Amino acid sequence: MEDVILHYQPGSAAGLSCLLERTERLLESFPCRTPPVFKPWFSVDRHPPIRPARPPPVITGPAGLNQLREAEVHSRLVVSESRHRQPPPENPPEPEEAACVSETPKHLLPETEVTGHKDGSSVTDSLLKRSWSVFTQRGGLQRESMSGRFRHVVSAHRLHLHQRAKWVIGQHNCGGGRDIEQVWCSLSRGVRSSGPPPPCNANIRRERLEIWVFCDVVLSEQVGRYLKAALRLSGGIDLSVHGRGSVFSM
Amino acid sequence: MTTLTRQDLNFGQVVADILCEFLEVAIHLILYVREVYPSGIFQKRKKYNVPVQMSCHPELNQYIQDTLHCVKPLIEKNDAEKVAVVIMDKEHHPVERFVFEISQPPLLSISADTLLSHVEQLLRAFILKISVCDAILNNNPPGCSFTVLVHTRDAATRNMEKVQVIKDFPWIVADEQEVHMQEPRLIPLKTMTSDIVKMQLYVEERAQKT
Repeated sequence: MEDVILHYQPGSAAGLSCLLERTERLLESFPCRTPPVFKPWFSVDRHPPIRPARPPPVITGPAGLNQLREAEVHSRLVVSESRHRQPPPENPPEPEEAACVSETPKHLLPETEVTGHKDGSSVTDSLLKRSWSVFTQRGGLQRESMSGRFRHVVSAHRLHLHQRAKWVIGQHNCGGGRDIEQVWCSLSRGVRSSGPPPPCNANIRRERLEIWVFCDVVLSEQVGRYLKAALRLSGGIDLSVHGRGSVFSM
Repeated sequence: MTTLTRQDLNFGQVVADILCEFLEVAIHLILYVREVYPSGIFQKRKKYNVPVQMSCHPELNQYIQDTLHCVKPLIEKNDAEKVAVVIMDKEHHPVERFVFEISQPPLLSISADTLLSHVEQLLRAFILKISVCDAILNNNPPGCSFTVLVHTRDAATRNMEKVQVIKDFPWIVADEQEVHMQEPRLIPLKTMTSDIVKMQLYVEERAQKT
Protein backbone atom coordinates (compact mmCIF):
# COMPACT_ATOMS: atom_id res chain seq x y z
CA MET A 1 0.00 0.00 0.00
CA GLU A 2 1.25 3.47 -0.80
CA ASP A 3 1.59 6.14 1.87
CA VAL A 4 -1.58 7.92 2.85
CA ILE A 5 -1.32 11.58 3.68
CA LEU A 6 -3.91 12.89 6.09
CA HIS A 7 -4.69 16.57 5.98
CA TYR A 8 -6.44 17.91 9.06
CA GLN A 9 -7.15 21.17 10.76
CA PRO A 10 -5.05 21.64 13.87
CA GLY A 11 -7.13 21.24 17.01
CA SER A 12 -7.13 19.11 20.09
CA ALA A 13 -4.87 16.07 20.43
CA ALA A 14 -7.89 13.86 21.16
CA GLY A 15 -9.46 14.86 17.85
CA LEU A 16 -6.31 13.84 15.97
CA SER A 17 -6.11 10.38 17.52
CA CYS A 18 -9.77 9.79 16.71
CA LEU A 19 -9.14 10.81 13.15
CA LEU A 20 -6.17 8.47 12.86
CA GLU A 21 -8.21 5.56 14.22
CA ARG A 22 -10.96 6.21 11.75
CA THR A 23 -8.51 6.43 8.86
CA GLU A 24 -6.89 3.14 9.81
CA ARG A 25 -10.27 1.45 9.92
CA LEU A 26 -11.11 2.78 6.48
CA LEU A 27 -7.88 1.50 5.06
CA GLU A 28 -8.38 -2.03 6.29
CA SER A 29 -8.80 -4.48 3.41
CA PHE A 30 -12.35 -5.64 2.64
CA PRO A 31 -13.29 -9.03 3.92
CA CYS A 32 -13.29 -11.52 1.05
CA ARG A 33 -15.59 -14.51 0.85
CA THR A 34 -13.93 -17.59 -0.52
CA PRO A 35 -16.40 -19.05 -3.00
CA PRO A 36 -17.13 -22.73 -2.46
CA VAL A 37 -15.40 -25.01 -4.89
CA PHE A 38 -17.86 -25.99 -7.58
CA LYS A 39 -18.40 -29.70 -7.82
CA PRO A 40 -20.99 -31.53 -9.87
CA TRP A 41 -23.37 -33.41 -7.64
CA PHE A 42 -23.47 -36.49 -9.78
CA SER A 43 -19.98 -36.56 -11.22
CA VAL A 44 -19.88 -40.30 -11.78
CA ASP A 45 -22.22 -41.60 -14.43
CA ARG A 46 -23.34 -44.89 -13.03
CA HIS A 47 -25.49 -45.71 -16.03
CA PRO A 48 -25.33 -44.64 -19.65
CA PRO A 49 -27.88 -41.90 -20.37
CA ILE A 50 -30.90 -42.24 -22.60
CA ARG A 51 -31.96 -40.00 -25.43
CA PRO A 52 -34.78 -39.74 -28.00
CA ALA A 53 -34.09 -42.08 -30.91
CA ARG A 54 -35.35 -39.50 -33.37
CA PRO A 55 -33.04 -36.60 -34.13
CA PRO A 56 -34.38 -33.06 -33.86
CA PRO A 57 -35.55 -31.35 -37.06
CA VAL A 58 -32.94 -29.84 -39.31
CA ILE A 59 -33.90 -26.26 -40.10
CA THR A 60 -31.78 -24.59 -42.69
CA GLY A 61 -32.03 -20.85 -43.26
CA PRO A 62 -34.44 -20.07 -46.10
CA ALA A 63 -36.27 -23.39 -46.23
CA GLY A 64 -36.90 -23.40 -42.51
CA LEU A 65 -38.03 -19.83 -42.49
CA ASN A 66 -40.37 -20.46 -45.41
CA GLN A 67 -41.91 -23.32 -43.52
CA LEU A 68 -42.22 -21.13 -40.47
CA ARG A 69 -43.82 -18.34 -42.46
CA GLU A 70 -46.38 -20.72 -43.88
CA ALA A 71 -47.23 -21.95 -40.43
CA GLU A 72 -47.43 -18.45 -39.07
CA VAL A 73 -49.57 -16.98 -41.81
CA HIS A 74 -52.12 -19.72 -41.60
CA SER A 75 -52.08 -21.98 -38.63
CA ARG A 76 -54.38 -24.28 -40.49
CA LEU A 77 -51.71 -25.19 -42.98
CA VAL A 78 -52.79 -28.02 -45.17
CA VAL A 79 -50.73 -28.12 -48.33
CA SER A 80 -47.35 -29.27 -47.16
CA GLU A 81 -47.58 -32.64 -45.52
CA SER A 82 -46.02 -32.33 -42.12
CA ARG A 83 -42.77 -34.21 -41.86
CA HIS A 84 -43.27 -34.33 -38.11
CA ARG A 85 -42.28 -37.60 -36.50
CA GLN A 86 -40.11 -38.59 -39.44
CA PRO A 87 -36.36 -38.35 -39.53
CA PRO A 88 -35.40 -35.16 -41.32
CA PRO A 89 -33.81 -35.57 -44.75
CA GLU A 90 -30.09 -35.04 -45.06
CA ASN A 91 -30.60 -32.13 -47.43
CA PRO A 92 -34.09 -30.78 -47.08
CA PRO A 93 -35.33 -29.80 -50.53
CA GLU A 94 -36.15 -26.21 -51.24
CA PRO A 95 -39.91 -25.90 -51.24
CA GLU A 96 -41.41 -25.48 -54.65
CA GLU A 97 -43.77 -22.64 -55.25
CA ALA A 98 -45.03 -22.29 -51.73
CA ALA A 99 -48.78 -22.41 -51.84
CA CYS A 100 -51.00 -22.34 -48.80
CA VAL A 101 -54.52 -23.44 -48.37
CA SER A 102 -56.54 -22.17 -45.49
CA GLU A 103 -59.85 -23.53 -44.48
CA THR A 104 -62.74 -22.11 -42.57
CA PRO A 105 -61.97 -22.49 -38.89
CA LYS A 106 -64.53 -24.41 -36.92
CA HIS A 107 -65.44 -21.49 -34.73
CA LEU A 108 -66.44 -19.46 -37.76
CA LEU A 109 -68.84 -22.05 -39.07
CA PRO A 110 -72.53 -21.85 -38.36
CA GLU A 111 -73.43 -23.85 -35.31
CA THR A 112 -75.53 -26.29 -37.28
CA GLU A 113 -72.55 -27.23 -39.41
CA VAL A 114 -70.26 -27.74 -36.43
CA THR A 115 -72.58 -29.64 -34.19
CA GLY A 116 -74.00 -31.95 -36.80
CA HIS A 117 -77.20 -32.71 -38.55
CA LYS A 118 -80.56 -32.45 -36.92
CA ASP A 119 -80.85 -36.21 -36.79
CA GLY A 120 -77.86 -36.29 -34.47
CA SER A 121 -75.38 -37.80 -36.87
CA SER A 122 -72.03 -36.10 -36.84
CA VAL A 123 -70.94 -34.28 -39.92
CA THR A 124 -67.97 -35.56 -41.85
CA ASP A 125 -64.70 -33.74 -42.10
CA SER A 126 -65.38 -32.69 -45.66
CA LEU A 127 -68.65 -31.14 -44.66
CA LEU A 128 -66.99 -29.05 -42.03
CA LYS A 129 -64.55 -27.51 -44.44
CA ARG A 130 -66.90 -25.07 -46.04
CA SER A 131 -64.40 -22.80 -47.65
CA TRP A 132 -60.72 -22.41 -48.37
CA SER A 133 -58.39 -20.06 -50.11
CA VAL A 134 -55.17 -20.56 -51.99
CA PHE A 135 -52.43 -18.04 -52.28
CA THR A 136 -48.88 -18.25 -53.49
CA GLN A 137 -45.93 -17.08 -51.46
CA ARG A 138 -43.63 -15.91 -54.18
CA GLY A 139 -45.39 -13.66 -56.58
CA GLY A 140 -47.85 -16.18 -57.89
CA LEU A 141 -47.68 -18.72 -60.63
CA GLN A 142 -46.90 -18.27 -64.30
CA ARG A 143 -49.74 -16.33 -65.81
CA GLU A 144 -51.24 -17.59 -69.04
CA SER A 145 -52.28 -15.00 -71.54
CA MET A 146 -55.98 -14.32 -72.02
CA SER A 147 -57.72 -15.51 -75.17
CA GLY A 148 -59.04 -12.97 -77.66
CA ARG A 149 -62.62 -13.87 -76.78
CA PHE A 150 -62.07 -13.29 -73.10
CA ARG A 151 -60.14 -10.10 -73.78
CA HIS A 152 -63.20 -8.87 -75.66
CA VAL A 153 -65.44 -9.74 -72.68
CA VAL A 154 -63.14 -7.82 -70.36
CA SER A 155 -63.20 -4.71 -72.50
CA ALA A 156 -66.93 -4.95 -73.26
CA HIS A 157 -67.82 -5.10 -69.57
CA ARG A 158 -65.04 -2.69 -68.62
CA LEU A 159 -63.67 -5.11 -66.06
CA HIS A 160 -60.62 -4.40 -64.03
CA LEU A 161 -58.01 -7.14 -64.34
CA HIS A 162 -57.75 -7.49 -60.56
CA GLN A 163 -61.46 -7.37 -59.96
CA ARG A 164 -62.81 -10.54 -58.40
CA ALA A 165 -64.85 -12.87 -60.54
CA LYS A 166 -66.72 -16.01 -59.60
CA TRP A 167 -66.94 -19.38 -61.29
CA VAL A 168 -70.11 -21.22 -60.41
CA ILE A 169 -70.12 -25.00 -60.49
CA GLY A 170 -73.60 -26.42 -60.25
CA GLN A 171 -74.99 -29.88 -59.81
CA HIS A 172 -75.40 -30.17 -63.59
CA ASN A 173 -71.62 -29.80 -64.00
CA CYS A 174 -70.78 -32.75 -61.79
CA GLY A 175 -71.53 -35.54 -64.26
CA GLY A 176 -70.51 -39.16 -63.92
CA GLY A 177 -73.03 -39.84 -61.15
CA ARG A 178 -71.21 -37.53 -58.74
CA ASP A 179 -72.92 -35.04 -56.50
CA ILE A 180 -71.76 -31.58 -55.49
CA GLU A 181 -70.20 -32.88 -52.24
CA GLN A 182 -68.00 -35.30 -54.16
CA VAL A 183 -66.88 -32.56 -56.54
CA TRP A 184 -66.14 -30.32 -53.53
CA CYS A 185 -64.05 -33.10 -51.98
CA SER A 186 -62.16 -33.59 -55.27
CA LEU A 187 -61.55 -29.87 -55.52
CA SER A 188 -60.36 -29.58 -51.92
CA ARG A 189 -58.12 -32.63 -52.28
CA GLY A 190 -56.86 -31.44 -55.67
CA VAL A 191 -55.55 -28.13 -54.44
CA ARG A 192 -53.49 -29.93 -51.83
CA SER A 193 -52.10 -32.78 -53.87
CA SER A 194 -51.69 -31.49 -57.41
CA GLY A 195 -49.23 -28.85 -58.48
CA PRO A 196 -49.55 -25.21 -57.50
CA PRO A 197 -53.16 -24.21 -58.10
CA PRO A 198 -54.05 -20.75 -59.34
CA PRO A 199 -54.60 -18.35 -56.43
CA CYS A 200 -58.27 -18.41 -55.65
CA ASN A 201 -60.72 -19.02 -52.87
CA ALA A 202 -63.74 -21.22 -52.88
CA ASN A 203 -66.73 -22.14 -50.87
CA ILE A 204 -69.59 -24.52 -51.12
CA ARG A 205 -73.15 -23.27 -50.99
CA ARG A 206 -74.90 -26.38 -49.87
CA GLU A 207 -78.31 -24.75 -49.78
CA ARG A 208 -77.95 -23.92 -53.51
CA LEU A 209 -75.99 -27.05 -54.44
CA GLU A 210 -73.27 -24.86 -55.90
CA ILE A 211 -69.53 -24.36 -55.53
CA TRP A 212 -68.26 -20.84 -55.95
CA VAL A 213 -64.65 -20.31 -56.89
CA PHE A 214 -63.40 -16.72 -56.73
CA CYS A 215 -60.34 -15.37 -58.49
CA ASP A 216 -59.03 -12.24 -60.20
CA VAL A 217 -60.42 -11.49 -63.64
CA VAL A 218 -56.95 -11.79 -65.12
CA LEU A 219 -56.70 -15.38 -63.90
CA SER A 220 -60.30 -16.35 -64.60
CA GLU A 221 -59.68 -18.28 -67.79
CA GLN A 222 -56.77 -20.11 -66.25
CA VAL A 223 -58.77 -21.01 -63.15
CA GLY A 224 -61.71 -22.07 -65.28
CA ARG A 225 -59.51 -24.38 -67.36
CA TYR A 226 -57.99 -25.78 -64.18
CA LEU A 227 -61.41 -26.49 -62.71
CA LYS A 228 -62.74 -28.14 -65.83
CA ALA A 229 -59.69 -30.35 -66.25
CA ALA A 230 -59.06 -31.19 -62.60
CA LEU A 231 -62.67 -31.89 -61.74
CA ARG A 232 -63.67 -33.38 -65.11
CA LEU A 233 -66.70 -31.11 -65.20
CA SER A 234 -69.40 -31.63 -67.74
CA GLY A 235 -71.24 -28.86 -69.54
CA GLY A 236 -70.37 -25.20 -69.27
CA ILE A 237 -69.47 -23.27 -66.15
CA ASP A 238 -70.39 -19.61 -65.82
CA LEU A 239 -68.18 -16.73 -64.75
CA SER A 240 -70.04 -14.00 -62.88
CA VAL A 241 -68.89 -10.56 -61.88
CA HIS A 242 -70.57 -8.55 -59.17
CA GLY A 243 -73.03 -6.07 -60.63
CA ARG A 244 -72.82 -7.53 -64.12
CA GLY A 245 -73.99 -11.10 -63.64
CA SER A 246 -72.76 -13.87 -65.87
CA VAL A 247 -70.23 -12.49 -68.33
CA PHE A 248 -68.51 -15.55 -69.69
CA SER A 249 -68.93 -19.30 -69.90
CA MET A 250 -66.55 -22.11 -70.62
CA MET B 1 -43.33 -25.62 9.10
CA THR B 2 -45.00 -28.84 7.97
CA THR B 3 -43.16 -31.88 6.72
CA LEU B 4 -44.70 -33.94 3.95
CA THR B 5 -43.61 -36.97 2.00
CA ARG B 6 -43.41 -36.94 -1.79
CA GLN B 7 -46.75 -38.73 -2.02
CA ASP B 8 -48.60 -35.98 -0.19
CA LEU B 9 -50.38 -33.49 -2.38
CA ASN B 10 -48.83 -35.27 -5.36
CA PHE B 11 -45.86 -33.03 -4.93
CA GLY B 12 -43.75 -35.01 -7.36
CA GLN B 13 -46.13 -34.05 -10.12
CA VAL B 14 -46.06 -30.41 -9.13
CA VAL B 15 -42.26 -30.39 -9.14
CA ALA B 16 -42.18 -32.21 -12.49
CA ASP B 17 -44.58 -29.67 -13.98
CA ILE B 18 -42.47 -26.76 -12.75
CA LEU B 19 -39.20 -28.27 -13.90
CA CYS B 20 -40.45 -29.37 -17.31
CA GLU B 21 -41.88 -25.93 -17.95
CA PHE B 22 -38.56 -24.45 -16.98
CA LEU B 23 -36.58 -26.94 -19.07
CA GLU B 24 -38.68 -26.10 -22.11
CA VAL B 25 -37.87 -22.43 -21.78
CA ALA B 26 -34.22 -23.22 -21.08
CA ILE B 27 -33.84 -25.51 -24.10
CA HIS B 28 -35.33 -22.92 -26.45
CA LEU B 29 -33.03 -20.29 -25.02
CA ILE B 30 -29.92 -22.49 -25.25
CA LEU B 31 -30.68 -23.29 -28.89
CA TYR B 32 -31.01 -19.58 -29.58
CA VAL B 33 -28.00 -18.40 -27.61
CA ARG B 34 -25.73 -21.10 -28.97
CA GLU B 35 -27.02 -20.55 -32.52
CA VAL B 36 -27.99 -24.13 -33.15
CA TYR B 37 -30.91 -22.87 -35.27
CA PRO B 38 -31.29 -19.72 -37.35
CA SER B 39 -32.28 -16.78 -35.21
CA GLY B 40 -35.18 -16.08 -37.58
CA ILE B 41 -37.22 -18.92 -36.14
CA PHE B 42 -37.13 -17.42 -32.66
CA GLN B 43 -39.37 -14.76 -31.19
CA LYS B 44 -38.98 -12.78 -28.03
CA ARG B 45 -41.37 -13.74 -25.24
CA LYS B 46 -41.58 -13.12 -21.54
CA LYS B 47 -41.24 -15.86 -18.95
CA TYR B 48 -40.47 -15.55 -15.25
CA ASN B 49 -40.76 -11.84 -15.92
CA VAL B 50 -37.65 -11.77 -18.10
CA PRO B 51 -37.35 -11.75 -21.90
CA VAL B 52 -36.61 -15.13 -23.43
CA GLN B 53 -36.34 -16.38 -27.00
CA MET B 54 -38.73 -19.10 -28.02
CA SER B 55 -38.78 -20.99 -31.29
CA CYS B 56 -41.84 -20.55 -33.49
CA HIS B 57 -41.02 -23.52 -35.66
CA PRO B 58 -43.79 -26.09 -35.20
CA GLU B 59 -41.60 -29.16 -35.78
CA LEU B 60 -38.90 -28.05 -33.38
CA ASN B 61 -41.44 -27.02 -30.76
CA GLN B 62 -43.18 -30.35 -31.03
CA TYR B 63 -39.88 -32.19 -30.72
CA ILE B 64 -38.98 -30.34 -27.53
CA GLN B 65 -42.46 -30.84 -26.11
CA ASP B 66 -42.42 -34.56 -26.92
CA THR B 67 -39.00 -34.93 -25.33
CA LEU B 68 -40.05 -33.24 -22.12
CA HIS B 69 -43.36 -35.04 -22.04
CA CYS B 70 -41.34 -38.26 -21.88
CA VAL B 71 -38.90 -36.89 -19.30
CA LYS B 72 -41.66 -35.75 -16.98
CA PRO B 73 -42.53 -39.16 -15.49
CA LEU B 74 -38.86 -39.67 -14.59
CA ILE B 75 -38.70 -36.34 -12.79
CA GLU B 76 -42.02 -37.03 -11.12
CA LYS B 77 -40.70 -40.28 -9.67
CA ASN B 78 -37.38 -38.64 -8.82
CA ASP B 79 -35.62 -41.03 -11.19
CA ALA B 80 -33.77 -38.39 -13.22
CA GLU B 81 -30.42 -37.22 -11.90
CA LYS B 82 -29.37 -35.05 -14.79
CA VAL B 83 -30.93 -33.64 -17.92
CA ALA B 84 -28.31 -32.51 -20.39
CA VAL B 85 -28.80 -30.47 -23.53
CA VAL B 86 -25.94 -31.58 -25.72
CA ILE B 87 -24.81 -29.58 -28.71
CA MET B 88 -23.05 -31.75 -31.24
CA ASP B 89 -20.92 -31.00 -34.25
CA LYS B 90 -21.50 -32.41 -37.72
CA GLU B 91 -19.79 -35.66 -36.75
CA HIS B 92 -22.17 -36.01 -33.80
CA HIS B 93 -19.44 -35.45 -31.25
CA PRO B 94 -20.50 -33.27 -28.31
CA VAL B 95 -19.00 -29.79 -28.25
CA GLU B 96 -21.04 -28.39 -25.36
CA ARG B 97 -23.18 -29.90 -22.69
CA PHE B 98 -25.61 -27.87 -20.58
CA VAL B 99 -26.13 -30.12 -17.58
CA PHE B 100 -29.09 -29.60 -15.26
CA GLU B 101 -28.52 -31.61 -12.11
CA ILE B 102 -31.72 -32.21 -10.20
CA SER B 103 -32.05 -33.27 -6.63
CA GLN B 104 -35.36 -33.63 -4.87
CA PRO B 105 -35.59 -34.12 -1.12
CA PRO B 106 -37.42 -37.22 0.04
CA LEU B 107 -39.23 -35.15 2.64
CA LEU B 108 -40.67 -31.83 1.65
CA SER B 109 -40.70 -29.06 4.17
CA ILE B 110 -43.42 -26.60 3.37
CA SER B 111 -42.58 -23.06 4.32
CA ALA B 112 -43.06 -19.59 2.95
CA ASP B 113 -40.05 -20.17 0.70
CA THR B 114 -41.88 -22.98 -1.03
CA LEU B 115 -44.22 -20.46 -2.58
CA LEU B 116 -44.06 -20.85 -6.30
CA SER B 117 -43.23 -17.21 -6.78
CA HIS B 118 -40.05 -17.79 -4.83
CA VAL B 119 -39.17 -20.82 -6.96
CA GLU B 120 -39.85 -18.76 -10.06
CA GLN B 121 -37.41 -16.14 -8.89
CA LEU B 122 -34.76 -18.83 -8.54
CA LEU B 123 -35.53 -20.20 -11.99
CA ARG B 124 -35.38 -16.71 -13.44
CA ALA B 125 -31.76 -16.51 -12.30
CA PHE B 126 -30.99 -19.64 -14.35
CA ILE B 127 -32.60 -18.10 -17.43
CA LEU B 128 -30.61 -14.91 -17.00
CA LYS B 129 -27.39 -16.90 -16.71
CA ILE B 130 -28.17 -18.88 -19.84
CA SER B 131 -28.93 -15.73 -21.80
CA VAL B 132 -25.47 -14.33 -21.11
CA CYS B 133 -23.46 -17.55 -21.18
CA ASP B 134 -22.29 -16.95 -24.74
CA ALA B 135 -19.92 -14.37 -23.30
CA ILE B 136 -17.92 -17.08 -21.58
CA LEU B 137 -18.24 -19.83 -24.16
CA ASN B 138 -16.35 -20.19 -27.41
CA ASN B 139 -18.21 -20.16 -30.70
CA ASN B 140 -19.55 -23.47 -31.93
CA PRO B 141 -18.61 -24.81 -35.35
CA PRO B 142 -21.27 -24.42 -38.06
CA GLY B 143 -23.84 -27.12 -38.66
CA CYS B 144 -24.34 -28.14 -35.05
CA SER B 145 -27.35 -30.12 -33.87
CA PHE B 146 -28.55 -31.04 -30.42
CA THR B 147 -29.95 -33.84 -28.37
CA VAL B 148 -31.27 -34.24 -24.86
CA LEU B 149 -29.65 -36.83 -22.61
CA VAL B 150 -31.30 -38.02 -19.45
CA HIS B 151 -29.15 -39.60 -16.77
CA THR B 152 -31.21 -41.81 -14.53
CA ARG B 153 -30.60 -43.15 -11.06
CA ASP B 154 -31.32 -46.72 -12.07
CA ALA B 155 -30.11 -48.58 -15.10
CA ALA B 156 -31.54 -47.14 -18.29
CA THR B 157 -33.34 -50.35 -19.16
CA ARG B 158 -35.43 -50.04 -15.99
CA ASN B 159 -36.57 -46.58 -17.04
CA MET B 160 -37.34 -47.31 -20.66
CA GLU B 161 -40.92 -48.19 -19.92
CA LYS B 162 -41.47 -44.99 -17.96
CA VAL B 163 -40.06 -42.82 -20.67
CA GLN B 164 -41.87 -44.39 -23.63
CA VAL B 165 -45.07 -42.45 -23.11
CA ILE B 166 -45.44 -41.31 -26.70
CA LYS B 167 -45.97 -44.15 -29.12
CA ASP B 168 -43.83 -43.00 -32.03
CA PHE B 169 -41.23 -41.19 -29.97
CA PRO B 170 -38.90 -44.00 -28.89
CA TRP B 171 -35.92 -43.61 -26.60
CA ILE B 172 -32.59 -45.38 -26.79
CA VAL B 173 -29.43 -45.65 -24.74
CA ALA B 174 -26.95 -43.03 -25.93
CA ASP B 175 -23.75 -44.16 -27.63
CA GLU B 176 -20.43 -43.65 -25.93
CA GLN B 177 -19.49 -41.31 -28.79
CA GLU B 178 -22.42 -39.04 -27.92
CA VAL B 179 -21.52 -38.92 -24.25
CA HIS B 180 -17.76 -38.79 -24.14
CA MET B 181 -16.16 -35.37 -24.42
CA GLN B 182 -12.44 -34.81 -24.71
CA GLU B 183 -10.90 -32.58 -22.04
CA PRO B 184 -14.05 -30.71 -21.14
CA ARG B 185 -13.85 -27.30 -19.54
CA LEU B 186 -16.35 -27.04 -16.72
CA ILE B 187 -18.18 -23.75 -16.33
CA PRO B 188 -20.58 -23.48 -13.39
CA LEU B 189 -23.56 -21.29 -14.19
CA LYS B 190 -26.07 -21.44 -11.36
CA THR B 191 -27.17 -23.37 -8.33
CA MET B 192 -30.50 -23.08 -6.59
CA THR B 193 -31.81 -24.52 -3.40
CA SER B 194 -35.46 -24.48 -2.52
CA ASP B 195 -37.59 -26.65 -0.29
CA ILE B 196 -39.03 -28.63 -3.14
CA VAL B 197 -36.10 -28.99 -5.49
CA LYS B 198 -32.39 -28.33 -5.75
CA MET B 199 -30.90 -27.73 -9.14
CA GLN B 200 -27.48 -26.96 -10.49
CA LEU B 201 -26.54 -25.93 -14.00
CA TYR B 202 -23.09 -26.11 -15.49
CA VAL B 203 -21.66 -26.27 -18.96
CA GLU B 204 -19.07 -28.72 -20.14
CA GLU B 205 -17.27 -27.30 -23.13
CA ARG B 206 -14.91 -29.21 -25.37
CA ALA B 207 -11.45 -27.67 -25.35
CA GLN B 208 -11.01 -27.86 -29.12
CA LYS B 209 -14.27 -27.18 -30.88
CA THR B 210 -13.05 -27.06 -34.44
